[in-house]
Amino acid sequence: MERPIFQPVGTPVEQLDTPALVVDLDIMDRNIQTFQGYFKDSVAKARPVVTSHLCPQIARRQLNASGTVGGIAVTTLGEAAVFANSGFSDILLANQVVTVSKIRRLCALAGQISIGVAVDHHENARQLSQIAVATGVELRVVVEVEAGMGRCGISAGIETVALAQNVSGLPGLKFEGIMGSVPGPKSGDDPSEHEAKTRENLQIVLDNAEAIRQAGVPVDVVSVGGAHCYAQALQMAGVTEVRAGRYPLMDHRLRSFLPDLAPAAWVLASVISHPVDGMAVLDAGHKATAPDQGRPVLEWVEGGTATRFSAEHGIVELEGDAQSKLNPGDKAWLVPYELGATVNQYDYIRAVKDGKLEGFWPISARGKLS
Amino acid sequence: MEDFYRPQPGTPMADLDTPCLVIDMDALDHNMDVIANCYDGRSTKLRGHAKNHKTPAIAHRQIRRGGTVGGVCAAKVSEAEVMVHGGISSVLITSEIVEPMKIDRLCALANQAEIMVACDQAANARDLSNAAQARGVEVGVVIELETGLRRCGVREIDAGVALAKEIDSLPGLRFRGVMSHQTIPDMPDREDRAVEANRTIKGVIDLKEAIERAGISMDIVSTGETWSYDVAADIPGVTEIQGGSYLMMETHYGYMTEFHYAGMILCTIISTPRSGVAIGDAGVRSVSTMSGLPTVSDRAGVTVESMDSDHAVFKIEPGVSLNVGDQVLLIPAQQDAMVSRWDRFIGLRNGKVEVVWDIQARGCHN
Repeated sequence: MERPIFQPVGTPVEQLDTPALVVDLDIMDRNIQTFQGYFKDSVAKARPVVTSHLCPQIARRQLNASGTVGGIAVTTLGEAAVFANSGFSDILLANQVVTVSKIRRLCALAGQISIGVAVDHHENARQLSQIAVATGVELRVVVEVEAGMGRCGISAGIETVALAQNVSGLPGLKFEGIMGSVPGPKSGDDPSEHEAKTRENLQIVLDNAEAIRQAGVPVDVVSVGGAHCYAQALQMAGVTEVRAGRYPLMDHRLRSFLPDLAPAAWVLASVISHPVDGMAVLDAGHKATAPDQGRPVLEWVEGGTATRFSAEHGIVELEGDAQSKLNPGDKAWLVPYELGATVNQYDYIRAVKDGKLEGFWPISARGKLS
Repeated sequence: MEDFYRPQPGTPMADLDTPCLVIDMDALDHNMDVIANCYDGRSTKLRGHAKNHKTPAIAHRQIRRGGTVGGVCAAKVSEAEVMVHGGISSVLITSEIVEPMKIDRLCALANQAEIMVACDQAANARDLSNAAQARGVEVGVVIELETGLRRCGVREIDAGVALAKEIDSLPGLRFRGVMSHQTIPDMPDREDRAVEANRTIKGVIDLKEAIERAGISMDIVSTGETWSYDVAADIPGVTEIQGGSYLMMETHYGYMTEFHYAGMILCTIISTPRSGVAIGDAGVRSVSTMSGLPTVSDRAGVTVESMDSDHAVFKIEPGVSLNVGDQVLLIPAQQDAMVSRWDRFIGLRNGKVEVVWDIQARGCHN
């Protein structure tokens, strides 16, 4: 468990004990209003993916704003349990649940709230049905079709239709529709090329929804993800929900692709050594930033770049006039590259308003990977 | 702390919900015994690094099995606190602690146990001295020398001697010695490692001798890590080795075959979307890919092709069977970043749960 010094509400953010995961509430609220506003006049609505922040208080703010389906999406059963216990009553577990022990946990949750799960395999569907019937619950099911991610999802075409038909006939299961995830941009991707690719991938999901309908099975839900594909999804008739996670807090990976939104989350770090000109050492290393998928980006120090992260230390290289900046005790602000991985290293969000601490918000679903 | 999932001792591995962090207890005990045997009868001992396991029970287990100075290293003040609260009586904090709040917290901890801290700047030494006096405690200080990692540490012997004089003169501080840290690329041959250890550790020995020539005595020369655990102990003057990776082990140190892989991620196949491909339920949030992708343990013909946040993509050779529901064990390329993502270790022996250890200092970044 994180053991920060719990400072009083009203503490100026620069005085917080570091490393600290800081969220500016005003920027976050603006991001929520802006992104969910895209869905205002559309049939499609947003389904917040809470895996990106793991924080019930942020999810509540998302559902309190307009533009959502009124429910959330999670990635693991452990996350579903935490959010169910925090009062969320419509959860889509957008992943496969395959072992008997976990299917039992899933069905127990379905006795408390309305829960949906992704399926891409006939045998898994049969097992879900059997345990749901034995438990006396109904599970919502969406068939996951492979739409470019190269991971879970059944192959598009007749296989998807056959699985949908099978699920719609199984007791204890309520076939709701189809879901697909389309790959997000990586650094260096050309925005217009990525947009064209996204359209192609979304079309796979829409075509398969149509094929299932033509086979006589009603499709109520056409769920696509993530946040990066909202603009294309809104232009393509037939999508009912966009699963999106990063938009309240944002990260560097999506920054240039969602330019209306601003980073609202930072790792606040302190300089612990400035051993030679041109270099500062931070108290936030790999464990405090999780740079596996990309390095966090140093803000507001012109000429300063975060270049290396070992387990416990972050290294900033300083050029030109910045060479003498960032001395021991000074603070450094880092925008995460991959939000979900960074959030998962903390137990508390330091919620900040007007530069002052507003409270410690528990990241309740942190580490609930199973 | 809320905790919905804690398997009972005796639970078969096949019944564990995944992903989870497991320890092969035979391998762990073996690794501890390699250390105990290595330092048996020598003056140099291990000061095991707690940043790798973050678990007082594991620190105590190595201390009981032998080969240690009886204390640990920690990377952070909060991590040191967890170790002291868990009954460890001596902690060397291997990072510079410079913020006033943290320095005060460190001094408060020095009321409960022997606390030493790394230092590389005179202003920091004066801050430590003032806070220690205010709290009425004595804080041990070791000077960190930079020896190739290009991060903290004094750069020159003269600067180190000047800093030692300063520390030695400051009330509330007790000058204890010097430390350094270094990594090397794969070096399977022991002779090569011995040459490399002598080359990289020479600096800290030079610093020790220069400080002693200036009339200041010391009792700690703390250096080395897993790759040099044996060869560094042969270097005259070295008093303690800061090893940690040897415990859980990682493929990065795979060439050190005397240690066995102990810490692993157990995952389950959740989808087999195409022939030759299977998807596991562990991703980057489970096992860091900081130093590369993890390696599949003991399952021929199955390799990790890629990982995203919560999924592993496995490549399966023709003729190899891997089905939905099957479990796969993953050996990390780097273990301490993996451990830092979990709340508990599930210790397995003979395929069954023997112990569940809370990783009490998980998340102790402060």
